[in-house]
Parts: sequence; C-alpha cells; structure tokens
Amino acid sequence: MDSGNKKIRFGAFIREISVKQNVVSFNDIILKTDVDQQGRPTVKATAKSRLRSLDIYRLLQPYIKVRFLEQVKAVMPLAIYLLLFQILVLHQEVSIPESIIMGLLAVIIGLMLFMEGLKRGLMPFGEVIGKTLPAKASLKLILLIVLLLGIGVTFAEPAIGALKTAGSIVLVEKAPYLYTLLNDWSTALVFAVGAGVGLAAVLGTIRLLYGWSLKPLIYCTLTPLIGLTWFMSLDPELSRILGLAWDCGAVTTGPVTVPLILALGIGIAATAGKGESPLAGFGIVTLASLFPIISVISLALFVASTTSPEAIIAAAQQAQQLTENSVNISWYNTSPWQEITAGFQAIVPLVAFLIIVLRVVLQDRLRHQGTIIYGIILCILGMIIFNIGLEHGLSRLGQDSGSLLPAAFISMSDMAASPFYSWSVGIFIALLFAWFLGFGATLAEPALNALGNTVQTLTNGAFEKKLLLYAVSIGVGCGIALGVAKIVFDLSLPWILISTYAFALILTRLSTEEFVNVAWDSAGVTTGPITVPLVLAMGLGLGNAVHAIEGFGVLALASIGPIISVLTTGLWIQWKIKRHHQIQPKKTANTQMETT
Amino acid sequence: MSGNNITVLTDASLITCIVQRGTADDIVKAAQEAGAQGATIHYGQGNGMQEVLGILNVAIDMEKEIINIVVADDQADRIYERMFLAGKLDTPGMGIMYMTKLEKAATYIPPEILERLL
Repeated sequence: MDSGNKKIRFGAFIREISVKQNVVSFNDIILKTDVDQQGRPTVKATAKSRLRSLDIYRLLQPYIKVRFLEQVKAVMPLAIYLLLFQILVLHQEVSIPESIIMGLLAVIIGLMLFMEGLKRGLMPFGEVIGKTLPAKASLKLILLIVLLLGIGVTFAEPAIGALKTAGSIVLVEKAPYLYTLLNDWSTALVFAVGAGVGLAAVLGTIRLLYGWSLKPLIYCTLTPLIGLTWFMSLDPELSRILGLAWDCGAVTTGPVTVPLILALGIGIAATAGKGESPLAGFGIVTLASLFPIISVISLALFVASTTSPEAIIAAAQQAQQLTENSVNISWYNTSPWQEITAGFQAIVPLVAFLIIVLRVVLQDRLRHQGTIIYGIILCILGMIIFNIGLEHGLSRLGQDSGSLLPAAFISMSDMAASPFYSWSVGIFIALLFAWFLGFGATLAEPALNALGNTVQTLTNGAFEKKLLLYAVSIGVGCGIALGVAKIVFDLSLPWILISTYAFALILTRLSTEEFVNVAWDSAGVTTGPITVPLVLAMGLGLGNAVHAIEGFGVLALASIGPIISVLTTGLWIQWKIKRHHQIQPKKTANTQMETT
Repeated sequence: MSGNNITVLTDASLITCIVQRGTADDIVKAAQEAGAQGATIHYGQGNGMQEVLGILNVAIDMEKEIINIVVADDQADRIYERMFLAGKLDTPGMGIMYMTKLEKAATYIPPEILERLL
C-alpha cells in the first residue's frame, strides 16, 4: 500500500521508539518432559515462581471489587431509602450513628465473603452429591440424607440470625410464648424450621421422581395449616405466635437452602430420567416455605403444653435480675465471641455432614481441596461478620425506621412536633413508605431476575420477564403495606392469613400447573438475606412504637402478596390467550363463508 | 473480466488475546487508540497457571474473553504492545496473547481509497 520512495519502513521506526522487546524461545520456558523406566512421560515439578506484590494486587483488586460492589448494590439502595425517608418525610435530623454505618459495612463484607465461600466451598459438595448419590444409594438412604441436609442448611442460612436478634426486641410480659420461643427455645426453633425444610425437600424430591402435580400438594399442606392457624387463633396467648410461625416460612428460603436443595433434588430426578421437565426446579421452594410453618406451630403447641405463661414471665424476670446482679457474664456470651461461636455452629455441622456423606456413602473425594477449604473458611468468616453487622447495622436500621414511622400520624412523647401530618395523611404516608420498601427491595433481588428468565422461556414468552418482575414486586409491596396496616390498626393476623391463603387456593384451583409452580415459588425467591432482617426489625420496631402486642407477620404477608398477584396475572394471560384463540377461529369461519 | 471483483489485502496480521471475562473492553479500547479498526470478542473457558499461583488461583476467572483483531503489519507491533500493557499481561494468570501472520484478508475498502491505490 506504500506509494514508494521511503527509505525507512514506518513499522521499523515505531518499533525503535516503542517498548523494548526481548525475544525468548518458547522452547526454553516450557516444562521438560522426561520418560521414566516404564516409558511413561513424567513432568518435572516447576519451582514456584515468586509473585511480586504488584502482581498480587493486580489479581486481587478486580476479584474483590466485583464481589464487593455486588453486595453494595444490594444493601445501599435500601439503606439510603430508609435514611432519606427519615430525613425528608419525618424531618428527623438523623445523625447517623457510626455503629450503623460500621454495621452496614460489616453486612456488605460478610455477605461478600459468605457468597464467595458458598460458591467455592459448599456448592461443589452439592453438585457432586446430587450427581452421584442416586447411583450409589437406595432411595430410603437418599431421602434420609435429603432430610438431614434440610436441617443443616437451615442452620447455615444467614437470615436465620435475624430471628435470634428479633428475640431481644420482644417484651416478655406482652407475649410470653413468643419470648420463650425466641430466647429459651431458639435452637429448637431453628431445628423445627430445619425439620420443616428437610421434610419439604424429601417430599419435593419424591414429587420430582414421580412427576406429581404441585396442586394437590398445596391443597394437602394448606388445609391443615389453615386449620391449625384457626385453632391457634382461638387462644389469645397462642395466637401471638402465629406471626412468627408464618414469618419463619419466608426466612428459610435463602441463598444456602435454595441452591443446595435444588441441586440435590434436580440431580436425583435427572438420574431417574425425570429431570428433563422445564418445571423440574420448582415446587421444592414452595414446600420449603410452607412446611416450617407447620413445624413451628407444632413446636409452639408443645411448648405451650409444658409451660405456662406465668412461669415464663417469672423465669424471664429472674434471669433479668441475675444478669443485672452479676457483672461477669461468661465470656462466650459477649458480643464478638457470641457471633464467632454462632458462625462456627452454623457452618461446621453442615460441612461435617457433607463430608461424611461424600466419604462414607459415596466413597468419593473432591478435587481442588485447597479451594474447598478456602471456601469453607470464607463461609465461616463471612457468617461471623454478617451476624455482627446484622445486629448492629441492619436490625438497628430497620428497628429505628419502624419505631419512627408512627410519628407521621400519632404524637410520640420523645419527638417534638409529632404528629407531622394529620392522622389520615400520616397513615397514608406510612403505608406508601412500606409499599415502596417492598416494591424496591424485591425489584432489586437478583434471584427474582433469574426466575423471570426461566418463566419467560417456560411459557414461550407469554409471561414476559418484565411482567413477572412487576407482578412479584407489586405483590410484595402490597403485602408489606398490609403487614404495616396490621400492626398499626391491630388487625387480626389469623383472619388476614386465612382469608388471603383461601383466596390463593381458589386461584390455584383455576390456574394451570405452570403458573401455580411459578407463583408459589416466587414468594420464596423474594426474601433474601437483606430484606428479611430489615423488614422483620422494622415490623418489630413499629410494633413496639404503637404498643402493639407483637410485630411479626409482615414477612408472611409479603409472601402471600406475590402468590396472589402472580396467579392473577397468570389467569389474566390465560384469558387473553383463550380470547385470542376464540377470535381466530371465528375469523377463519367468516372468510370461509365469504369464499363459499 | 466478469462483474465480480474482489480486492485482497496482504500484509495483515491477526492478534489474538485471551483474558479474563470482563477485561476485554479496556484492551480493545487501547488497541483502537493505537490504530486498530475493529475487534471481535468471543467467550471461552480455560486456565493455565494453577500450579504457580496456588491459592491465589481463586482470584482468576475461568471464564475467558478471546479478542481477535486483524491489523496491518505496519501497526501490528504497536497495537500488540499497547494491548499487552493495557491487559497487564506481565502479571501471572492475567492471560496470553499471540500474533499470527495472515496470508490474506478481504473486507470493505472505501472506493476512493481503492481508486487511489489501484
């Protein structure tokens, strides 16, 4: 392309002035292979090259940055929304306490470490076990392992720590059974939730194996559940536990439970030749959010049969006096140590169980053991940091905004100039606040995005991803607003639950299998490790501020909201398709008439 | 001569650069600033430095981006260097790049340039 007359090639000139190049033959740096006595090639081990600190920085900087920003995106919008609301609407001069900022930072770092650890350390177990277990063990043994795994993953779920934190907010005099469940029986409570998840996983796996429809399972689970709820609502003491029991369903389905249980369930079904159905992954999540409610109610009934409210109050007061009198609380109950032991308690049993299953039942080993150990350490570390942040950051923030919220419509003693608005406007603002909190938090949930993609392919584009995202988010928003209304107006939770779930049952009866699967699962997907503690603490703070008996139940209503909204949307789409098909034949009939 | 007429370009080289997912954009930008016309990016999986890096290996994404750029020989070395520096390929685990001589290439050439050259 040169037009000639040049003495020096431009390329040669550029080469002279630019980066100096050393030329080394590739042959000189490859590993030398020798042949040993049997004639097999052997590769000499290379000396580990020393990394410069610059290299380590260059490698780690993007690795950490991506994962850190991921969690910042999940936490910060909600935190900023809550703070802005306090400043702009409630005219609070919020001097953000440093402890909340540090707490939120701890939540971000903790979640970052935990999620990475989960991917590196726990998920490989789930994948290997899910793939090889069905081939090597009998169905009974498989189901037993699934059951135990359900309990294990519940203990490892980060949001479960929120329940324990919530226990410290409940007043013993107002709801003694609730208090004792969350404090004295807290391990049993988590165990009951875990047993529920385990049973749900077993049933979900059997369902996948035999290709059962989800509808009858929902009927069979919900009917006794509604019955139990009605029974509990008759006793004023017992009815105060209902909010907690129904909230537990939402707490269980988090980032540990869903992928691990699904990996196992789908793996088993795939080996049996039933995993090909596009609906394979669904259903387990639904059952895992319904069964724990039954098990927690059963636990509550058991507790109620062994102790009386008076005894609980007396014991609690005695314990309080004891802690006030004695200064030396045992060291493992003080702040950092408590979280550290909790972190180990959450992860170590699960890992031990997974290793036992792998080594004893499958007689298999995992490759890349170094990476797995690294992942497990990250999991424990992340859990500890997250729990610390949960207590000082998320729960505090939620509780603060919950307890400030009533200042919009009633006069509060410790806040001058409250109420800020007339009663009806204030209530409206409070409900709007709750609605947008649920709407925004759900729209930002990454798990929902994934569900949206699945649904779009599943329904051949009839149920658009965007439509599902908005249907679920609006459902959660309405649910949380209803929950806030329940606390403020002291509505009867059992009746709200019974009527909404009964309505959902009718809708389920009318809908097709695909939409039933999607709708009931969407409820479990939306409640992640950030939304759960925040909403739980907000409800409790609000409950205390308006002197309600207890502030649970908001999450339960946030779960039923999307079920109803998605089912309704599904019915609407079905109706649209049907009408479309009805018009089409008529048109063809008309054209036929014209031609004849 | 028939109406079908194609112009073949000679003196062209192909630069291929394999880096971690998400880093290709910066490298392509550097290449374009150094005079590259366009770039193709496709995805792949792979690793190479596991033994050397040890536990730091977790920081390296197995998912890779593969950049293909066809360049004129005169600018090839300059672009090659810019891409190497932009991708920080002197860090272990960051990736690998190579350049191959192309026998021929063909694409759209603006008619006025074609007129001038032929």
